[in-house]
Amino acid sequence: MSTSPVKIWRRQKEIRNLLNRKGKIISWTYIYAPPIDFKKNAPYPVVLVEFKKGERAFGQLVSTQINDIKIGIRVKSVLRKVRDVLSDDVIAYGLKFERI
Amino acid sequence: MISVIGYYTTKFGELWNKALFDLVDEALFGVLKETSIEKKQIDAVFFSNMMSGVLENNLHSPSKIAEILGGHIPVFRVEAACASGGTAFHMAVKYLEAHAGKTVIVIGAEKMTDFSPEEVISALTSASSGEEQEAGITFAGLYAMMAQIYFAKYHYTKKNLSYVSYKNHYHGSLNENAQFRRRITRKEAIASPLIAYPFGVLDCSPISDGASAIILTSDKNLLSKKNKAISVLASEIATDTISLKNRAYMDGIEASSIAAQKAFEGAACTRQDIQVAEVHDCFTIAELFAMEDLGFWKKGTAGKRITSLDTMLGNGGRLIVNTSGGLKAAGHPVGATGIKQIGEIFLQLTNQAGKRQVKGAEKGLTHNVGGSGGSAVVSIFSI
Repeated sequence: MSTSPVKIWRRQKEIRNLLNRKGKIISWTYIYAPPIDFKKNAPYPVVLVEFKKGERAFGQLVSTQINDIKIGIRVKSVLRKVRDVLSDDVIAYGLKFERI
Repeated sequence: MISVIGYYTTKFGELWNKALFDLVDEALFGVLKETSIEKKQIDAVFFSNMMSGVLENNLHSPSKIAEILGGHIPVFRVEAACASGGTAFHMAVKYLEAHAGKTVIVIGAEKMTDFSPEEVISALTSASSGEEQEAGITFAGLYAMMAQIYFAKYHYTKKNLSYVSYKNHYHGSLNENAQFRRRITRKEAIASPLIAYPFGVLDCSPISDGASAIILTSDKNLLSKKNKAISVLASEIATDTISLKNRAYMDGIEASSIAAQKAFEGAACTRQDIQVAEVHDCFTIAELFAMEDLGFWKKGTAGKRITSLDTMLGNGGRLIVNTSGGLKAAGHPVGATGIKQIGEIFLQLTNQAGKRQVKGAEKGLTHNVGGSGGSAVVSIFSI
């Protein structure tokens, strides 16, 4: 499992268009058994969001307790560090969501 | 006509004394012995495995299998995530349709317990989209999201899921090769520690080692000498987008519906003709989806219908589901699962399933899904 600066750079081109967009949660879960790059953050919530024009995106929900997450809640997309820094020292930034 | 003429499986579970190709060795020679077939009678091998490359830097399996078997026959490795086994079987059927008078082994194997749960979960997520991986979502998480949508639409809760786990663990208690032999209560299933909300550990198939093999033939002479054989009536595959969010709907698996529709047409039989089915219960919700997607139960009703437990052995139902214990209790060594499903139907239709025998079963179905529904294989068999 490794990242590379080039791989992250390719992904940034898509992420740019998805930032600061408003939408609502159409499904969600809370991950207790994570992949290895996310071990330090577990448990954490992940949501599937539908933006106003019908586009959808997955991302973690920040600063929210499990009892406050529901289908239909309005959120906004933000840029955050998304996984642990691996042995190659590359910091991966990506999409997360916060409640409006 | 293509027939399954033999089956062997290793025990599923934490098999610390066996490496991946030790398991392959046991299953290859096990199935040859079981059927009294010499290895020189085998014309090709189809090998199903998902993660040996990702987890243990272990590839070029055709040559490794050649070293075990000796000789120079063609060996093909097939990968389609958790549907690798069903896909390998499908390709073997197509191979035999093109080659009359041939006999092949279809074998699946996976070695998972040498690694930490987080390492295995990471390797499994290689079968999801880049975006899903970046969000830190696991397969348990993706199915949990599908379950949440299903629950919201049809007003069910995780209590409805607990019947699947209860039933499959009961069946697992009757299967000597299952990873879990202990019966559980529905209460234990509901209260089990969380893996991905709303799923507890008893909603999820485990991390397992194991290998399963079948022998498949289009050789009429060989078939005439075998008294234990079943015919392949149909085997169909359908695919869908890798990303769950891009599917037509998320409260079910469309690829399963499409493959099932084609398989029933190909087999020229109806849902009522099937007495035993092995369906892909990687998570409890997946068995409910399977019952609807395969057309056994109407869309949106599985949450209610499972509560009558008439797909459980001993309750007098017309269709018994996952007599092996399913992925949930028999275990889920990914590459082996699709082959074990076919093997279980072989045992049932040839009256060799022992304590878990469904009396008088004449037609059976297997259903194997890859990822969150990006591939699905449905096959139908008859005595």
